[in-house]
Amino acid sequence: MVFYIARCAGQFAVALVGIVTVAFFLMRAIPGDPALYMLGDFATPEALATLRARLGLDLPVWQQYGIFLARALQGDLGMSVVTGEPALAEILASVPSSASLAVAGMAIAIAVGVPLGVIAAVRQGSVVDVAVMLIALLGISFPVFWVGITAILLLSHALGLFPALGATSEPGFWKGLHHLALPALVLGLSVAAYIARLTRSAMLEVLGQDHIRVARAMGVPEWRIVWKLALRNALVPVLAVIGVTFAWSLGNAILVEAVFSRPGLGSTILKAVLARDYQLLQAGVLVLAAAVVLLNTVLDLLYGAIDPRLRQQ
Amino acid sequence: MSAAFELRGLTAAVPGEKRAIRLVEDVSLSVHAGETLAVVGESGSGKTVTFTSSLGLLPKPGRVIAGEALLEGVDLLKLRPEELRRTRGARIGMVFQDPLTGLNPVFRVSEQITEVLRAHLPISRSAARDRAVELLTRVQIPEAARRVDDYPHQFSGGMRQRVLTAMAIALGPRVLIADEPTTALDVTVQAQMLDLLGDLRDADGMAMVLITHDLGVVARQADRVAVMYAGRIVETGTVAEVFAAPRHPYTISLFRSIPDIEAPTGTRLTPIAGSPPDPARRPEGCAFAPRCFAVSDAAGCRSVRPLLAGVGHAASCHRQSMLETTA
Repeated sequence: MVFYIARCAGQFAVALVGIVTVAFFLMRAIPGDPALYMLGDFATPEALATLRARLGLDLPVWQQYGIFLARALQGDLGMSVVTGEPALAEILASVPSSASLAVAGMAIAIAVGVPLGVIAAVRQGSVVDVAVMLIALLGISFPVFWVGITAILLLSHALGLFPALGATSEPGFWKGLHHLALPALVLGLSVAAYIARLTRSAMLEVLGQDHIRVARAMGVPEWRIVWKLALRNALVPVLAVIGVTFAWSLGNAILVEAVFSRPGLGSTILKAVLARDYQLLQAGVLVLAAAVVLLNTVLDLLYGAIDPRLRQQ
Repeated sequence: MSAAFELRGLTAAVPGEKRAIRLVEDVSLSVHAGETLAVVGESGSGKTVTFTSSLGLLPKPGRVIAGEALLEGVDLLKLRPEELRRTRGARIGMVFQDPLTGLNPVFRVSEQITEVLRAHLPISRSAARDRAVELLTRVQIPEAARRVDDYPHQFSGGMRQRVLTAMAIALGPRVLIADEPTTALDVTVQAQMLDLLGDLRDADGMAMVLITHDLGVVARQADRVAVMYAGRIVETGTVAEVFAAPRHPYTISLFRSIPDIEAPTGTRLTPIAGSPPDPARRPEGCAFAPRCFAVSDAAGCRSVRPLLAGVGHAASCHRQSMLETTA
């Protein structure tokens, strides 16, 4: 197990260096001269040369890469061109808001999706199964911004259950949670639909396996067979997809934040794109990518906890 | 003495396009405490279906359409689902063919045995774990106390079959059904497994049903034998009777198809020509007629279904009298 954890951590480190590398070359691949863009069309050649030297743009690319990598690993991702603040700090400041949205959304997705998928699998072909799968299909098909707007119209405007704004400046945990509820629900339900379909197919496969027949022959109660013996087997593929959907739901989180006027990583990155703030954008992409890799590393550890065979080798 | 386990006219079917397809038909057999009944037949002859359906484990949409499955006089097919669940595993145990897929890969062996014990008994987890160690010791797993918390993939095939056997006997059942328990094992391990099952049967006075296609296993382990073909029992009797003078042409063909160590070198085995009929398209008369060496139109082999005839040693063949005289 210790070796397994060490291996996962090693893979995380390698992936992180990979992300930094890709981010560097992506930024260099963007056409145009950053110095020219920053100083404007009327900049003097001297000023341009000075800024290029300050940004290190006069050095060979491999040298620039070395410097960038060394700085990035120390947590220095340059300054925001617009505000002059350290880019990483500015991005990290918007992380907690997005993280709470993503975590709450994921929690809802799992809490709703897994049980629905299990029930649909157990009652395969029944009205319940068809209904769950139909709703799941709709949940997957409708874009999240449409669901978000509909939810605002229905639940906050018409019924007044939740505030239409996804955030509040008022302090207090419950106040924050009240504002978080609707965006998290919108984000979570789209993922829940996906998880429900996946859990259903994974459960159907497991329920057909020999060890389930053995458990039945031994007189183990059906609910123990379904919710314990079969479900733990079915969770391995479900976890794998949660890793993939997390990256996808981060994209959706940006849309949800926009719909609910909620500050966060999404709005910060959107602002950076509109202002052509390359440094800030680069930091944002790096943090997003690191979050996805981190989550997948955690999931790798979880697979090992669930399926002992994966701990081996 | 009444039988520990008895099937009477058991018929199980799945819905077909025109009419129900009968997987097993009119199967009657019995096994007494301390005795082993071997059920022999080719793949698809209905050996496994006979017993899974009598335990209510036939996968949907299959179901039992006629007959009784009596466990110490109580018809399992008439029990309510919860009563049947309490009976399964507690009073009648089953060991399946493939030990590699029979254990749940993501739970420790101790957890799986505990699950079975706690399904039937109000005992604590720690008591169940202690009991699991005892059970593993009983099925001769070395260092049971250390291995009880291992996962299935850490055991060999033979050891996994022992674990499954331990689960099947965990609650001291009166009847143990072993469905090809040695088929998936190495030859060297097969004999050990059979000896273990025999020892457990003798120690607990269980009635044992041994499903197999291996006549060698029958000769070694069983007291009585039932030969199945195309969903029906075609011959039954004591092992001594059937081995000394098989009466059904199918049984005779089975004996001819096994190698004889004393036969002169170069002697060819006699395979049974053709293959068993599809359950949906069984012949009108005797199901074995298309492959039979003694088939005769005059005797009605192709038109009339033969019945199991004889007291004790019985066979279902229109040509029995002819076979007896020529044997």
